[in-house]
Amino acid sequence: MKMEININPRLRFHLSPLVWILLTLMGIAIVVAMIRYIYGIGAISNLSYSYPWGFWISFDLFTGVAIGSGAFVMAAIVYIFELKEFQPLLRPSVLTGFLGYIMVVIALLVDLGHPERIWYMMIHMNGTSVLLEIGICVMSYLTVLAIEFAPVIFEGLKWQKFAHTLHKYIMPFVILGVVLSTLHQSSLGSLLLIQPAKLYPLWWTPILPVLFFISAVSIGLAMIIFESSVSARYFHRGLEIHLLEKLARAIPIALAIYLIVRFTQLTLAGDLQYLFNSGMMSILFWSEIIIGSIIPLVLFSFKRIRQSSNGLLTGAIILLFGMILDRFDVSWFAVRHPDPLTYIPNLMAFNAHYIPSLPELSISIGIFSAGILAFGLAAKYLPLFEGEEGHPSSAGH
Amino acid sequence: MTDIQNIKHKAFLFDATRCIDCRACMISCSVENNIPMDKTRIWVAGVGLMGEYPNLGHASMVYHCMHCEEPDCLSACPVGAYSKREDGPVLYNKDVCIGCRYCMNACPFGVPHFDYDKNIIQGAFIDKCTMCPQRIDNGLEPACVATCPTEALKFGERADLLTEAHARIAAHPDRYVNHVYGETENGGTSYLILSLSHVSFAELGLPVLGSTPVRDVSEAVMDLTIPFALTWGAVLTGITVGVHQFNKRKEQLAEAEAKAKTEETK
Repeated sequence: MKMEININPRLRFHLSPLVWILLTLMGIAIVVAMIRYIYGIGAISNLSYSYPWGFWISFDLFTGVAIGSGAFVMAAIVYIFELKEFQPLLRPSVLTGFLGYIMVVIALLVDLGHPERIWYMMIHMNGTSVLLEIGICVMSYLTVLAIEFAPVIFEGLKWQKFAHTLHKYIMPFVILGVVLSTLHQSSLGSLLLIQPAKLYPLWWTPILPVLFFISAVSIGLAMIIFESSVSARYFHRGLEIHLLEKLARAIPIALAIYLIVRFTQLTLAGDLQYLFNSGMMSILFWSEIIIGSIIPLVLFSFKRIRQSSNGLLTGAIILLFGMILDRFDVSWFAVRHPDPLTYIPNLMAFNAHYIPSLPELSISIGIFSAGILAFGLAAKYLPLFEGEEGHPSSAGH
Repeated sequence: MTDIQNIKHKAFLFDATRCIDCRACMISCSVENNIPMDKTRIWVAGVGLMGEYPNLGHASMVYHCMHCEEPDCLSACPVGAYSKREDGPVLYNKDVCIGCRYCMNACPFGVPHFDYDKNIIQGAFIDKCTMCPQRIDNGLEPACVATCPTEALKFGERADLLTEAHARIAAHPDRYVNHVYGETENGGTSYLILSLSHVSFAELGLPVLGSTPVRDVSEAVMDLTIPFALTWGAVLTGITVGVHQFNKRKEQLAEAEAKAKTEETK
C-alpha cells in the first residue's frame, strides 16, 4: 500500500520578526547549554549550596507542569464526561500539555548534574521519594499525551486508518492520563513536604498536594482560555467564545474551593498569626491570594466578562500570574535555606541570597521560545483547530 | 520509627566548651578523604566575639553530617543513592546519583554539597561526611576526632556518649545548655552536641527541630499514592462507563420516541 504523505499549510503563519526573535533566543539557549555541559552548572548559574534549586525548578518544572494541566482537564471534560461540544478545545490543550512536558524534560536535562542518567529513575527506584513519583509520572504521562495527540498527526498525514484505530482504543489512555496528572500535579506540592523546617508556615502544610491539585484545575481552565484567545488573535481564526464562557463558569467554583481549603487549613494549623506580620512573606502571600484567586473569582463571576473575548483573556492572565507566583513562592521565595558554610555572626537569621543569573534565565527563555515555535508549526501543518474527523463513538463508520 | 533511647551504634559527641576553633579537624578530614582545597566536608561555624570588653566570649562548633537515625536525604533521593549503615554512617553512592540535588533540599542541616564546577565527564556529584568508614572498619576513630587536640570531638558508642554528655551537664550545670542536641532532634542523630550555657543551639547554626523526623509527613503521603491511584482510576472508569451508558440510554429513548412519532403520523 502506498502511503500518501501530503501536508498543506492550514492557517496563515508568517515568517515574521517574531519567529526570528524566537529562533535567536533558542540559539542563545543552545550556546549557553553547551557552556554548561563543558564547564559545569556553576559556570552559567547562581545556584549554590544554599539554593540547590532555583529558577529552572520554579519556572520550568513547577510552572511548566502547572500550565500543562489544561490537557488533563480538557481530556476529562471531553472523554470522561462526554461533553462533546468542547471537542474543538481539546487538541490545542493536549498539544500545549505535550509541549509543556517536553519543555520540562529539556530543562531538567540542563538542571540535572547527570542528565545522561535520567533513566536511572526507572531502574533504581526509591519508593519513599516524592521526586521519583513525579519523574515516573511525567515520563508515563508524556507517553500518554503522545498517544492522545497522535491522531492529530495521523490525520495531518492523511493516515486516516491509524487515526481511527487509535481513537477506538483511546479511553484507557485518557483515564490513565488523568490518574497520572492527578498524581504528579499534587505530588509537586508533596515535593516540599520534606522541608517543614525550611518552607515558611504560610505555605507548608501536609495538605500541600491537595492545594496543588485544586489550583492545577483552575490553572488548566485558565490556560485553555489563554491559549485559545491568543492563538485566535495570532492566527486570525474564530474564537469559540460560547465554549470558553461555559468553561469559565467552573473557575470561580474551583477558586472558591481552593480559598476555603487554604484558609481552613491555616486556621486549623494556627498559622493565622503569620498573615499580616511576616513582612515580605505576608506581602507574597496576599499577592498570590488576591491576584491568583480573589480577582479572577470575582471577574469570572460576571457573565458580561465571561462573554467578552477581552474579559476572558484578562481574567485568565491575572489568574495565571497569581498562581504562577504561588508556585514560585512555594519552591523558591518562601523557602529559607540554612547555609552552614557562611555562618557569620548576626547574619544567620537572614536568607542566603539567590538571584538567577542571565545565562540561567536565557536557558528557560530559549526553551519557552522553542515551545511557542513548535505550537505555531503544529498549528500551521496539523488539523489542530478543526473538529475531529472521527471521535470514539463514531470511529466505526 | 526507631526507638530513640535504644540506638546501638557509633556516634560523635561535640562539646562546644572545649572547642578552640583551631580547625585542625577540617585539615585532617580533607587529607584523609582527599578533598580538594576549595571544598570541605566539615566546617567550623563560629558565633564570633560576644559581649563587651573585658568580658569577651567566643563560641564555635564543628559541623558535619549528623548521620541521622532516619535520614531525610535517604528518604528523598529518587534513585536510592543514600544508605544508612547499621553501625551509624549515612553513606552516599555516586554511581547511581543523577545530580537532582533533592537531598540538599531535604536535609534540614544543609549538609550535602553539590559540585557545581564539574561537568558530566568530570563527575558533578554530591559530597558529604562519611564518618570515615575506611578508618572505623579498622578500629580507628574518624580523622576529625583523632586530630582534635582538646577532645572537643569524641567518638564511641552512642549510648555511652549520651551518658557522658548528661554527666558533663550534671557536673557543670552552669557551663552548659541543659540539653543534648541530637538526642531526639529529627528522630535522633549520631552527632551529639553540647553547647555553652550562654549560646543557644540556634546561634551555633542548628535548626530547631522536633523529635519526629522531617521525612515523616512526605513518607505518609507517599504511602497513600498507590492506593489512591488505584481508587481514582476505578472511580474514573466508573464515571466514564456510567456517563457513556446514560448518554446511550438517552439517545435510545430519544430515538424510540422519534420512531413512535413517525409511526403515529403514519
